[in-house]
Amino acid sequence: MKNNIEKLIAEKLKREIETQTRRHFIKQCATGMGGIALGSIFMGCDPLTPSKTNSNLHTGFTERDLNPLATLSPPFAPRAKNVIYLHMAGAPSQLEMFDYKPELAKLNNQECPQSLLEGKKFAFIRGTPKLLGPQATFKQEGESGNWVSDNLPHFKKVVDEVAFLKAVHTDQFNHGPAQLFMHTGSPRLGRPSIGSWVTYGLGSENQNLPGFVVLTSGGKAPSAGKSVWGSGFLPSVYQGVQCRSKGDPVLYIEDPDGISRDLKKNTIKAINEINKKEYSKYADPEILARINQYEMAYRMQIAVPEVMNINNEPDYIKEMYGVEPGKESFANNCLLARKLVEDGVRFVQLFDWGWDAHGTDASTAVDLGLKNKCREIDRPMSALLLDLKQRGLLEDTLVVWGGEFGRTPMQENREGKTMGFKGRDHHGDAFTMWMAGGGIKKGASHGQTDAIGFSGVDGRVSVHDVHATILHLLGFDHEQFTFDFQGRPFRLTDVEGEVIHEILA
Amino acid sequence: MNRQKLLSYAKIWISLIAISLIYSCNSSSEQIDFSTQIKPILNNKCISCHGGVKKSGGFSLLFKEEAFAATKSGKPAIIPGNASESEFIKRLHEEDPELRMPYEKPKLSKEEIDLLTKWIDQGAKWGQHWAYSLPKEVKVPAITEEASLIINEKNDFLQNDIDKFIINRLEDNDLPPNHPADKSTLIRRLSFDITGLPPTNNLYEAFTKGEITYEEAVDNLLAQDTFGEKWASWWLDLARYADTKGYEKDNGRSMWRYRDWVIKSFNEDMPYDQFTTEQLAGDLLPNPSVDQLIATAFHRNTMNNDEGGTDDEEFRVASVMDRVNTTFSVWQSTTMECVQCHSHPYDPFKFEEYYKSYAYFNNTADEDTPDESPNIRFYTDEQNDKKNKIISWVEKYGTKKEAELYEEFLSFMEPKYLAHDATDFVNGELADTKYLALWDDGSCVLKNVNTQGASAMYMNYQAYVDGTTMTIRENNSHGEILAHFKIDKTKGNIIRKIPFKKTNKPTNLYFESNNDRIGKQVSTSFITWFAFIKDIPGVSEAGYSQINKSFLELLNTDSPQLPIMVENPDFMSRTTQIFERGNWLAKGDTVQPGTPKILNDYNEEWPANRLGLSKWLVSKENPLTARTLVNRVWHQIFGRGIVSSLEDMGTQSDPPSHPRLLDWLSLRFMNEHAWGMKALIKDIVMSGTYRQSSVATPELYQKDPNNELYARGPRLRLSAEQIRDQALAISGLLSKKMYGPGVMPPQPDGVWQSVYSNESWIESKGEDKYRRAIYTYLKRTSPYPSFITFDAGSREVCTIRRTVTNTPLQALVTLNDPVYIEAAYALAKSMDTESVEKGISIGYKKATFSEINSEKLEVLKNLYNQALEEFETQNEFQENFAGLQEKPTKKLAALTIVANAIMNLDEFLTKA
Repeated sequence: MKNNIEKLIAEKLKREIETQTRRHFIKQCATGMGGIALGSIFMGCDPLTPSKTNSNLHTGFTERDLNPLATLSPPFAPRAKNVIYLHMAGAPSQLEMFDYKPELAKLNNQECPQSLLEGKKFAFIRGTPKLLGPQATFKQEGESGNWVSDNLPHFKKVVDEVAFLKAVHTDQFNHGPAQLFMHTGSPRLGRPSIGSWVTYGLGSENQNLPGFVVLTSGGKAPSAGKSVWGSGFLPSVYQGVQCRSKGDPVLYIEDPDGISRDLKKNTIKAINEINKKEYSKYADPEILARINQYEMAYRMQIAVPEVMNINNEPDYIKEMYGVEPGKESFANNCLLARKLVEDGVRFVQLFDWGWDAHGTDASTAVDLGLKNKCREIDRPMSALLLDLKQRGLLEDTLVVWGGEFGRTPMQENREGKTMGFKGRDHHGDAFTMWMAGGGIKKGASHGQTDAIGFSGVDGRVSVHDVHATILHLLGFDHEQFTFDFQGRPFRLTDVEGEVIHEILA
Repeated sequence: MNRQKLLSYAKIWISLIAISLIYSCNSSSEQIDFSTQIKPILNNKCISCHGGVKKSGGFSLLFKEEAFAATKSGKPAIIPGNASESEFIKRLHEEDPELRMPYEKPKLSKEEIDLLTKWIDQGAKWGQHWAYSLPKEVKVPAITEEASLIINEKNDFLQNDIDKFIINRLEDNDLPPNHPADKSTLIRRLSFDITGLPPTNNLYEAFTKGEITYEEAVDNLLAQDTFGEKWASWWLDLARYADTKGYEKDNGRSMWRYRDWVIKSFNEDMPYDQFTTEQLAGDLLPNPSVDQLIATAFHRNTMNNDEGGTDDEEFRVASVMDRVNTTFSVWQSTTMECVQCHSHPYDPFKFEEYYKSYAYFNNTADEDTPDESPNIRFYTDEQNDKKNKIISWVEKYGTKKEAELYEEFLSFMEPKYLAHDATDFVNGELADTKYLALWDDGSCVLKNVNTQGASAMYMNYQAYVDGTTMTIRENNSHGEILAHFKIDKTKGNIIRKIPFKKTNKPTNLYFESNNDRIGKQVSTSFITWFAFIKDIPGVSEAGYSQINKSFLELLNTDSPQLPIMVENPDFMSRTTQIFERGNWLAKGDTVQPGTPKILNDYNEEWPANRLGLSKWLVSKENPLTARTLVNRVWHQIFGRGIVSSLEDMGTQSDPPSHPRLLDWLSLRFMNEHAWGMKALIKDIVMSGTYRQSSVATPELYQKDPNNELYARGPRLRLSAEQIRDQALAISGLLSKKMYGPGVMPPQPDGVWQSVYSNESWIESKGEDKYRRAIYTYLKRTSPYPSFITFDAGSREVCTIRRTVTNTPLQALVTLNDPVYIEAAYALAKSMDTESVEKGISIGYKKATFSEINSEKLEVLKNLYNQALEEFETQNEFQENFAGLQEKPTKKLAALTIVANAIMNLDEFLTKA
């Protein structure tokens, strides 16, 4: 019975979200612009003061009508308000980081049993590969006693903050489709990414910054391209905005040379003044929205470079993360993620490229290149958790870590050949992810793989389950959170997904 | 009687009619209409549990036969003619929440239950949704007396028959049409809608001065080459046209000849039925022309996955599915992907029908290989002469059929056997899952090869080492030797002719390779394909060896090419099996090509291939093709479809705002205009509905926010392409050059971050910097940034409709992107006259095609003064002002600021 009432409430709230679309906006807009305050420039306030989201609008306008990123409440009480998603593009090896398999060490260099290979498809492994023992030493760490390898010395100190998922599985074993699946719930193109769903559902807390920011490191963009932060069939305003470490942090955010802030302010003021006259002639609510967007653009021009500048951070913070100002690095991005979340950005997505440890050369060997990659992320991601915690932000922020799949317990034998370096092939049957922060049970570990880490034997969770859990923590029922497209409601989790209650606080 | 009075009398009279209508509706004698009264209730309240995927209690309301069939209880739930005995109705009244339907949902309203009861009592007649019934002949409605009253005195709203459909509904809603737009606004709107560009000065002057009529202006614009460029940019969204292959590697592909074909076809006003057939099945037409082959690239715009380790078959299947889905989306407003895994939850399409449709597309030669074969090859004139000589030789000494085979092989090198089908590798592997690569003492098998009784095999391969011997045997290592040859190092990929023992039956080819000079696990060669073609006839004739030589030479020329559709010959055709739950590895029953039952019949004379399918689509018996096209063209012009859900015409779609107009336009399009798209567009823009002013009031927006009734003209933000084209056009920078490979106008550094590819954005030089947006190189994983910001897509899949957004990032583009600064500077130059006021007025007029009023002039003059003052107090402002190449005067710099502001006005970014 109680369940039903909750469902009804959820339904009601969902309807409210649905009605606050553009169509609705136009209907409401038509009531006239008499009482509408057109933002700070016309009010004679100093536009340099970033405006918060409180509404001073009348006549049935909601903030979201003028601004599609205006804050909305989720249908249920949320456990987290923001998300920082750390994606190790290329797929990190769980067997050298978190999933300790002593049995695998004993079986090192033995042929993989045929029973495991039957009916399986691998990207590069052919014939009968050999098993490859863990190429790292492991210890149990913290009060939780969870296993962490020596590749991650800093992370050991924060291990009690996180909850591990040791038996995540995916049905995709090529990077592009698997990354799409991990971020949009479908291996094919056209669906909105998690960040788009979340900003669509919740808007953003800061109206001077994009609501969904993407940062990349490792020198390359994710395999699946910009679709992994695309908005699919949702309005494009909800797609991720890539902030860059080199050049303009957001494309075209810098004023052209020789044009001062004051002059830009006057330009926008002139544009909006004329647009206001245009509105009184045409009464088209789109004109009001445009006036608002130009003001927001002006404010973003100040706010974005400010938040993207890590130089002003105190030295101890820079050191804690190990940042390298001026470069594109995962450490810089972790610090930026904290700053963005602190400033109210809803969803921050980090992609770090270079985890595809096939062992085709030293840089992709699990005992060489992988160690370097671990070193690159170890300090910053640990610092991120600590820094969020010391600022009281971790309670409201969900941090998610993972790749698009895992790696095989077998050594890769590309094209049936013995390879000079130790590498592992793509593997979707079992891999590790972790979550920390808002609503997550500290020190938990859910799921187990078999003795060699090939398949999950207990607590298997799917990509859809991970999505359902993220949405749950943000205050959504993933089954109710839908968008109508092509005549049917779509959800992030398609027709699957169950919340992983075992890792919830 | 004055107008007002007449109007109020009329209203009373209408009210009376309305009351009597309501009365008669309520009387039980009224026949219930399934489509409009019953189906919506079933869809909204019942079908999520009783239809498609779920058939709770064994009861489904999706198909007629299911609805009347026995349920789990053993009895049918609906007993026609007897509502009180029908379980379906009983359950609606049930008080026990466990039994009442809809389960765990609020009870249906009394009205709903009454309707359903009456419907069953009246015999439960099942009807067809309008979208699946043919449009019936529609009479242009007479203007009701009331309607004629709301038209203004000059009666200038009624320009053609379209307006008669519109006016009656306006009248029903008590809305008068708007007055016509002023001439300047109208010609700008018209020019954007037909050519995607603002009007030329000549056209503008001629029209506004009354030297030419509106119709002459329409005809003039329809005859411009820019027409094709505008409408192609719409079609290319549907065709998912891009210049790269997509997926991880996203390497470039040469598709631009297809884009040019679309532009030319629009300009030549190719009828839509022909336009359809050539794109879907140009290769299957008798003696297809080069253009007809190029047209088939429509379905080669599917993505191609070159990522290492990917299974070519998996992505071939993904492409075929995309072709099915795209075909039904583009021509039928139907989302077939919904029935990929199960029967359609709402629409009457069945699971197996998906795979019957799939079967039409499942027999093409492309298999997701990195070279994207089959490709049509474009020879030089000289090479074409050579080619013709070969073909005439074959025709002279052999048969016409043989000549065709040679023609095809030289055009697109099919049929051939792809190396990725090789199996049973020993000491060797499919390198990168794509190339046949044997090591020393290696072997593998290629099964079921039809060698055509040829005495030679053509092999495409590359080798990095010398001294390999390869032997091909029949079936296995003991089999008869069919070929034995040496392989040495090659310069890149070559096609070689290898003597081959004639055999007439399909054979398994067993490959062996030996090379003791190389290390273990070193590949002797990388083979891409094998081909067999009947020997060139005329062996005893003089010149035979020369002909053979030029054949091989031609094959080895490095010609420009374009991926096209080519059907496999019968001996290589695939069978199609259902994929259980949509999983391509779980193959079920075999199916034959077929079209969905709910739509028009398939004429037995049509072949069961893509050509037949295209004939089925453009048959006048197909209820959706013309409606779909008409609806989308209407949307291009009005920003809203007559059916607003452009993607979907079916049970879940929005009801048409003007159903009879949709049908009338569709029939007229097919019959009177013979599928002519220019005539259709002309009909729409000639209407008084289109020519209305878009000036409106808040009250009007409140009454009709989406302009569904057309009491005002369309007022829409320009598209991504139009915004850039306009900036270049009005500043005089736009190049008129048409066609050719994609160009790379300036874009910020570091936008392309390709994985495993050294392709980079190399800024175009000269006029290529200023080409129309349609020619901008489109990389799927990283499209041109400012277009994306203005809602253009990445063209990875078919885009039926772009969502129009209004974001701060758009403002940043037009304010700060160097492309727009350069355009502002060019515009400012034309404003650099003695009087600042005059200069601003000139710039404003050039940009917006209207005269500036004093208020706006004042605002812009202020801005000019502020800018000038600032520049005068700065000394070094000129050094690198706004990143321009030239050093402008302070005045010109200040005018540039003003021009930039003008080019950011809402009226500039919008067609009013």
